[in-house]
Amino acid sequence: MLLSKLNFGPISEVIQKEFAATGDAARVLQHRTALVDDMVLSAFQKSLWLTAPSGLALLAVGGYGRRELFPHSDVDLLILTAGAFDAHHSKEALSLFLRELWDSGLRISHSVRTVPECCELHVHNVELSISLLDHRFLGGDPRVHEMLASKLPAFLRSRRHDLVRQVCRIARERHAKYRNTIFHMEPDVKEAPGGLRDYHLVRWLDRLQSANSGAPEWSIGAPERHPELDGAWRCLSRLRCFLHYQAGRDANWLTFEMQDEFVQQAFSSHADSAGCMREYFRSARAVHRAALRAMESAEGRGGSLLVLFQDWRSRLSNAEFTVSGGRVYLRTPGMLNADPEMALRLFQFTARHGIPLSADAERRLIQALPAFQEYFSTSRPLWRAVSELLSLPHTPLALDAMCETGVLAAIFPEWRRIECLVVRDFYHRFTVDEHTLQAVRHLWDLGGAAPPPRQRFAELFAEVEQPAILALALLFHDIGKGGGDGRHVQAALPLADAALERIQAPSPVRDAVRDLIASHLVLSTAMSSRDLDDPATAVALAERVGTVEQLKKLTLLTYADISAIAPGAMTPWRLEQLWRTYLCVYRELTRELDAERIETGRLPSESLPAFVEGFPKRYLRTHNEEQMRRHAELEARSRALGAAVDIRRENGVFIAEIVAQDRPGLFAAIAGALAGFGARILKAEAFSNSRREVLDTFVFSDPSHNLELNPPEMERLRLILAKVILGRMDIRELLRGRPKPTLPSRHARVRPTVSFDADASVTSTLIEVVAEDRPGLLYDLASQISQAGCNIEVVLIDTQAHKALDVFYVTRDGRKLDGAAMADLNQKLLAVC
Amino acid sequence: MKKVEAIIQPFKLEDVKEALKGVGIDGMTVTEVRGHGRQKGHKEVYRGQEYEVDLLPKVKVEMVIPSARLEEVVRAVIVAARTGKIGDGKIFVYDVAEAIRIRNEDRGEAAL
Repeated sequence: MLLSKLNFGPISEVIQKEFAATGDAARVLQHRTALVDDMVLSAFQKSLWLTAPSGLALLAVGGYGRRELFPHSDVDLLILTAGAFDAHHSKEALSLFLRELWDSGLRISHSVRTVPECCELHVHNVELSISLLDHRFLGGDPRVHEMLASKLPAFLRSRRHDLVRQVCRIARERHAKYRNTIFHMEPDVKEAPGGLRDYHLVRWLDRLQSANSGAPEWSIGAPERHPELDGAWRCLSRLRCFLHYQAGRDANWLTFEMQDEFVQQAFSSHADSAGCMREYFRSARAVHRAALRAMESAEGRGGSLLVLFQDWRSRLSNAEFTVSGGRVYLRTPGMLNADPEMALRLFQFTARHGIPLSADAERRLIQALPAFQEYFSTSRPLWRAVSELLSLPHTPLALDAMCETGVLAAIFPEWRRIECLVVRDFYHRFTVDEHTLQAVRHLWDLGGAAPPPRQRFAELFAEVEQPAILALALLFHDIGKGGGDGRHVQAALPLADAALERIQAPSPVRDAVRDLIASHLVLSTAMSSRDLDDPATAVALAERVGTVEQLKKLTLLTYADISAIAPGAMTPWRLEQLWRTYLCVYRELTRELDAERIETGRLPSESLPAFVEGFPKRYLRTHNEEQMRRHAELEARSRALGAAVDIRRENGVFIAEIVAQDRPGLFAAIAGALAGFGARILKAEAFSNSRREVLDTFVFSDPSHNLELNPPEMERLRLILAKVILGRMDIRELLRGRPKPTLPSRHARVRPTVSFDADASVTSTLIEVVAEDRPGLLYDLASQISQAGCNIEVVLIDTQAHKALDVFYVTRDGRKLDGAAMADLNQKLLAVC
Repeated sequence: MKKVEAIIQPFKLEDVKEALKGVGIDGMTVTEVRGHGRQKGHKEVYRGQEYEVDLLPKVKVEMVIPSARLEEVVRAVIVAARTGKIGDGKIFVYDVAEAIRIRNEDRGEAAL
């Protein structure tokens, strides 16, 4: 029986009422499709069929073709003709046909094509070919449809690669529009990654693959190849039906308001909107993952450059992991239960080489989750493995995979508090877990070729020590949001502490992470609510931040946190304000290096040794009690011998701590002795107290492995340093015969700069040198300063990759340098850079 | 009706909002902007390298008010935004021909 437009409305209402009671979207789609089929056929038979009973067929395509007609979806029709459309003869009938359907309240989207046109690839209208994958014969001349049915498979086979490429390109563009994440707090259930469009993408790619293999036409309806997506499809379809009915139009945006409405429905089993969204994210994650796999699988079948590159990467395989088709597989997946740390090594592999996990590896990891949860719940020495994992070039890729597979939550159960968590505010676009992962991504993106406005932050990122600390602080900075009491910073601290203690992170690491989390809103608040030109602002922020290293980390954390709020959140305005805030605090921290000193007789704590009187106050902030005690012991030893030297190995580098009576050229002599021994100085600092005693600390590497391979050499170096300090060995003798270093090409070298700041300190002139690092550079710089009759009061030396960043506070005759002295020293320093 | 446009220091936004609230002005539009007036920009030196900072971050506060309240509002903004230093900002005042509330088509001062 064909329906008339008079009873279309009442029947639609019945369908809607049934949905309101059951929430069964499949029934809606089935009934609506049948209803519209009748409407369309009725109109067709009264119009086009009368004027063209042969040579013309009516097809349903797209969503309508696959019988998935949502309440307010477009009704996609293809009028297929055997030859050119006879406009003169059929135009009026076509108008009548469309008018009838429009008047019935249907949104018709139609096209008129010949069979040959349907079997051509239209680069600018790939959607036509895609819509034909879901075509369905409705009425008209069956011979015309048979012509298409006979030619279409051959067309699909011959142009499969092009179609796959285009379909995947369109999908990737769509994903990029949504920042390639499913975790939007107000998602579009159709177009967003993991939405219904992705579900169909999986089926289209399957269909194209079937065309290639000559498999019979797939049955339109429930997916036969992806039963694991059935639940996801039901969830997404129910949401879309609901949204259409609520809005009375083709609306697919699951806003906060709609989420609240949804949980009020009779069919909803969710207690609150958070539960509803968790179900949505679970479904979207399954669909998104399937879509990515399908695209990768379909694209990988060509002989493209990508395939060649993927083959090349198979050379990275090792004893535990195999790389094949650009994915990493476990060689012995059965070992995961017995050796859960293999999972960490697998993610390290991913983070090091940028190779994503294979579906098989993901599946194995998910199966082993119970073993992981048990293993990682007790305290274990995992810090080194976690630290390495969080310091590699592709750390964000590994973290994404850890989150996807649930391994992140197995290692850090605290993560579950923010998984798929929607915290509604005016600014954030993503769930808390996705915001966190995006923040890490934004930070690591600075490691690539950052555009000029971000270049300054990229340089900071290249300079930070232990990026793992920064990554951990980011991972935990919002973990307290799961508590819901609004004090997320305070709530995060004990959670981060517990997690870091469990992996046995060293105490300085725990302190640094804790400080970063506790301060993670300090700079963003300051940049919008503090007068950055007011010295009091700089002093207060410097006091809070503590050290330049911590300032760099906090600035980067703030950069990443703001950038991950929403696309475009890090505006040029904020970028500039953040940088101004960084500069304001940086200047204060470097200024006070020399100016703010511990006053004699006024030690801030009774437990502190008198030895520290006169040291810059920075000393108290950058050293813990144990270090201070060690320095005091060193000072006691130095009183008997005139100097005391301690050398030890820590975290892969050597640290030399020296206490001695100050004398002109002492710092240069020590730097020279280390260079003469082949050491590469990475960091150095020198403090002098009110008794003219100096505490010099040098952190150095041993590129020739001399100290490592010959333990007695450590003692020899200690003796040489002692002799040099006491003036019993000529440093020039020691340096004679050292091989000349190989420097990078002229173009790759760091351009040397020497700058003087007479206002940075009350008593000293600040000299800042940036240059290409080389063995002996510090000795040459310090020697030039000493030979110019200057005294080095405070030193802060840093090396980032092959760039040396050296800060000296110097005086001459107890005063700041005058203009002539600065000009003279400038030339001399540049000459040795 | 008058439109008041105030370019102020970012850290003065909260003070200005409070001051406007104090004189009964609740509606405003706030935009993060960058620019400079007579102060122009300046050069920043960081590790020996000079950076030209020609566009300084500011905040623009816009509001449309009854003409009769202009002086009161301008005074409130001036008092709240002033530090006495260069860079405090500027206030611009424009005539407004009409205001229409989209929801119910109220017009004139009733729409403010």
